[in-house]
Order: sequence, then structure tokens, then C-alpha cells
Amino acid sequence: MGQKIYFVLALAFVVLLLSSIADAGNLNAQMQSLMDKYMKDSGVKSFSAEEGKKLYFLKRMHSEKKEEISCISCHMDDPAKEGRTLVGKPIDPLSPAVNKERFTDPDKVEKWFKRNCTGVFERECTPKEKGDFVTHMMLLQ
Amino acid sequence: MKFKNIKKTFLAVFVLILGLTISTFVFADEDEEGDGHERHERGGRNEGEGRAIIPENTAYKNECSSCHFLYPPEFLPKRSWEVLMKGSDKHFWENLALDEKTSNEILSYLIENSAERGRSEWAGKILKSIGSATPLKITETPYILKEHRKIKTDVFKRKSIGSFSNCGACHTKGAEGDFEEDSISIPKQ
Repeated sequence: MGQKIYFVLALAFVVLLLSSIADAGNLNAQMQSLMDKYMKDSGVKSFSAEEGKKLYFLKRMHSEKKEEISCISCHMDDPAKEGRTLVGKPIDPLSPAVNKERFTDPDKVEKWFKRNCTGVFERECTPKEKGDFVTHMMLLQ
Repeated sequence: MKFKNIKKTFLAVFVLILGLTISTFVFADEDEEGDGHERHERGGRNEGEGRAIIPENTAYKNECSSCHFLYPPEFLPKRSWEVLMKGSDKHFWENLALDEKTSNEILSYLIENSAERGRSEWAGKILKSIGSATPLKITETPYILKEHRKIKTDVFKRKSIGSFSNCGACHTKGAEGDFEEDSISIPKQ
């Protein structure tokens, strides 16, 4: 009888442990399938957080605006901080470490990649770039 | 004896994890949006003289307000909104990535409430000031420029303002359609 209770407790322990790990920065199922799609489309075997970080900080000259632009123009050097759009409207922090809503909705993620990649790089981002970027963001503490 | 200690340790760890998990859920709830602002019906005009329409269209709000102030539709004429929405894949160098349905819904809403139909004094003044032009920025219409002529360029560059396009930074009740002078407060920084 006593052993049975401990078995149930042990099982509950494992479930809770797993759910707290999932909470601490892992992608949800929908996002994981988007990442799987990125991987399939790009043909790479793994994503690089380092490359994602490079992309985040990459500054380039916008060919039409004639202004230097990058992800950090709006999202700041530290993505855990509040950002600002080019016209001055505040943006909630991009880092999932402080903003749990980030990188949970594949439609949103895709929409903002499309918007912001064309805004900064004047083209859409590649599946590899997107995978690297998300990987980098998810590793932020 | 030994087994008893393991049991105790195990129980302590279990309680700790349980506590942490519960607190995670409790705090996560606090992130939920609930700004408590009074909602007005779609296209509803606020009580009070001369106020502009409060944008209530969900598609317009969702797709446009993340980047900029939710401009009152009556601050530009129909023809401007048509050009802007037609070019939504190159909206000031960004592709808004709108599907056709959403794009049409936003355009209909903007047209239904454009300057020609606006009843606020500002709608009429903006419309009159632009003549036959098709401005793509409210901030480039002669009436709006005239009203802001005394404000130095540096003021718009202040950290909490950012740009001339960020209406709500100084028009503290702008989101409620009130652009009267007595509700203006220019941030010092």
C-alpha cells in the first residue's frame, strides 16, 4: 500500500519535473513543427544559435532609406529590454526569457519574420536564418 | 532508517517542485492582457464634441497598432487609404504580409470612416488643406504640419516620443479620439 503511494508520487514528480523543464524555454509543439519545417526546407541538420545571434546584430545599409538598419534598431542590444519601433511605439521585449508569449504562435512568428526581414534585409529570411534566430532567442537567459 | 531518510528527502523535493510549478502558473496568469479600458462598438464615435472616431476594427487594430499609433481613419481621405492598402506589401519598406481577406477588411473599415465621412473638426480641416493631393502620411498634410509648426524637430526625437508620427506620446487622450489642446502633455525626455 505504502509503496503504491510512492509510486504515484514518483510518477507525479517526473511529470511535474518535465513540465517545469518545458516551461523553462522549450518550444511548444506547434513551434517545434514550424522549426522542423524550417529544418526540412533548409536541408541543414541542426540550427546554430551563434549564427542567429550574428543575424540579430547584423547592421546593414538600407538601399532605399540610405540608413543603417538591423534587428537591434527596434529590439535593442538586449532583447530582454523593451524595444521601440522606428516611429517610437514601445515593443514588448523579444526575449522569451522575460516575455513568455514570444515564439509560441507559429502564425505570429512567420508574420513578423516576413515583416521585419523585408524591413531590415529587403528580402525574406531563409528557413535556416529563421531556425538559427529562434534557436538563439530560446537560449537566452 | 536509511529508507526513511530517502523518503523524507523525496517528499521535500516533491513539495518544492510542486510549489515552483504552482507559482509559475500563478505568475503566468499575470501576463494576460486585461487593460480594463472601456470598449466602444465598431465605428462608434465618442461622446463629446469634435472628437475623432476611436478605431475599433479588430483587423485594423491587430495588424497596424503593433508598429504605430492607431491613426484615426478620418485623418486621411479615401483615396489615400486605397493607395496605402494597395501597397501593403511595401508599406514604408515593410511587407505587412496581410492575406487578402484581412487586407480587404481593413480597407473597407478605413474607407467607411475616412476624412470625407469624418465629423470631427480635424477631418474637415485636413481634407480642406490637402486639396486634390493624395498624402500617404498624416504628418505630411498641410493642416497637421501647420498645427505642429511651433514644435522644434528635436522635441520629436526625445526618447519617449521617437517621431512626429507617434501621436499618442503627447496627445495623451489621442487613443480616445481627443486631440484637443488641453489634453496635450509633451514629455520632457
